Amino acid sequence: MVLEIKGLSKTYPGAAQPALSDVSISVPAGQFLVILGPSGAGKSSLMRCINRLVEPSSGEVVFQKTRITKADLRAVRRQFGMVFQQFNLVKRLSVLTNVLTGRLGYRSVLRSLFYSFPESDKRIAFECLARVNMEHKAFQRADTLSGGEQQRVAIARALAQEPKVILADEPVASLDPKIARQVLGYLRQVAKELGITVLCNLHQVDYAREFGERIVGMSRGSVVFDGAAGDLNEDVLRKIYYDNVTAG
Amino acid sequence: MAAVLPARPGWRLHHIVVAAGAIAFLAWCADGVNLRPKEMAGALPVIGEYFARMWPPKWEFSAVLWKPALETLYIALWGNVIALFIGLPLGLCAAGNVVKSLAVRSAAKAILNLLRSISELIWAVFFVAAVGLGPFPGALALGVNFGGILGRLYAEALENIDPGPVEALTATGAGRLQVIAYAMLPQALPQFVTYNLYWFEVGVRSATVLGMVGAGGIGFELVTTIRLFEWRECGVVLLLILAMVTVIDLASTYIRGRIYGS
Repeated sequence: MVLEIKGLSKTYPGAAQPALSDVSISVPAGQFLVILGPSGAGKSSLMRCINRLVEPSSGEVVFQKTRITKADLRAVRRQFGMVFQQFNLVKRLSVLTNVLTGRLGYRSVLRSLFYSFPESDKRIAFECLARVNMEHKAFQRADTLSGGEQQRVAIARALAQEPKVILADEPVASLDPKIARQVLGYLRQVAKELGITVLCNLHQVDYAREFGERIVGMSRGSVVFDGAAGDLNEDVLRKIYYDNVTAG
Repeated sequence: MAAVLPARPGWRLHHIVVAAGAIAFLAWCADGVNLRPKEMAGALPVIGEYFARMWPPKWEFSAVLWKPALETLYIALWGNVIALFIGLPLGLCAAGNVVKSLAVRSAAKAILNLLRSISELIWAVFFVAAVGLGPFPGALALGVNFGGILGRLYAEALENIDPGPVEALTATGAGRLQVIAYAMLPQALPQFVTYNLYWFEVGVRSATVLGMVGAGGIGFELVTTIRLFEWRECGVVLLLILAMVTVIDLASTYIRGRIYGS
C-alpha cells in the first residue's frame, strides 16, 4: 500500500455537518482510483487532508509506511502532485516556468527567487511537457492556451515534482466531453508509464466507469461504496447521488 | 407572449431616511465652509480678470523654464522609485494572504497610514529642513507620501489575486517566499505597473507645487511670478504645466492600454 487513509474526519470551524467522517481507504501502488460523488460529498476535502492543505480534525494518513505529520510538510508535498478543476496555472508566466514551479519544492529559496533553475530541472520540465505533447508551446504564455492544453500543462507541472501520487481534484469538470476524455487519457497514460498512483475526484459516472480501476463512492463525507467499476450498479448510484436528498 | 416581470422592490423607509440624512449632512457642512452662492458668482469675474492679465503669454520666458520643468519630471520619477521601495515591502506585509500574522499586518498598515495621512507638501517642509533646498527633498517627500498610498494599493491588488495558483504552488511543496514570488507577484504585477504609472502622473502635478516650499521643480517659478505680479510669465508657467500633464496623461493611458490589451 502506498497510501493508507485511516479514520479521517474533518469538520470546518462553524460548520454543522462534518465534511469528512471516518474515511478509511487503502491505495495500492500504481492504482488509478476514482473517487466518485456529488458536489459537497467531501471529495476535495479528502484530497486536501492528504497533503495537508487542510488540517484534518482526526484520523491519520500513512504514506509509504510513514505517518504524515505537520513536520517537514515540504518533503511530503513534493511526493504528491496535484491537479485542479480550474487548472491553477500562473497565467502570466510561460508554460515552461509553470512546469518548473513543480521543482520549487526541491530548490533553495534564494536561487529560485531570481527565476533561475538548474539545467537538470529544465530537462525534467521539457520531458514532462513532452509526455503530454505540449513541448512545442513551452515558451508561450499560459493564458494563450485552451482549457484542455492548460490542464495538460498542469499535469506536466505535477509530473515535474516526480511524485509517487497524483491527486486530481475534478480535473475535467471545466472541459467539454471530448477534451475531458483526452485529458483523462493523458493522466492515465503518464501514470501507467511512470508507475504513479492516481486519486481522481469525479462527479460524472461514465468517466468513472471508463477510467477507474477501482471506484470509491462518497456521499455526505462518508465512503458508501468501494469496489470495481463493474459493480457500480443502480443501487450503488442511488446511494451515492440520491440518498442524501431524502436523508438529511 | 410578454413575460410577466417580477415587481421591482420599491423604496423602503430606510432608503428615504438615509437619503434625507445625507442631504441634511451636506447642508450642515455647507454652513461650515461658508458656502455663499452669491459671492461665488461675484468671484468669477475676478478670476477671469487674472486670466486676462496673463494674455498674451510672454513666450520668451519659457527659455528659463525648461530646466525647472525637467527637474519636476525628475522629482516625479524618483519620487515614484522611492515610493516603490517603501511601498512594496510594506504592501507585502500588509496583505492578508501574504502575511498571516495579525501583528505584522497591523504594524505595516499603521506605518502606511502614517506616511499617507501626512501630505507630500508637509513632508517636503520636513525634508527641506533636514536635507536643504532643492529637488532632493521634493523627491523624498513624494516618495514617502506616495509610498504610503502605493503600499496600500499594492496590498489590495495582492489580496484580490486568484487564490488557485497559490494553492497549487503550495501543494508542490514550494516554500512561502517561493509561492509569493511565483504565484502572487506575477498575478499582481500588472496592477502594480498601472498604479505606478498613475501615481507618476499625480507626481508631476504634485511636483509643480513642491517648489512653493523650496523643494525644487517648476513650482518655485510659479510662486515667484505670482509674487512679482508677472502675470504674462505666470501664464507661460501654467501652460507649460498643462502641456506636461497632458502629454504624461496620454502616454500613460497608452501604456496602460497596452498592458491590459494583451
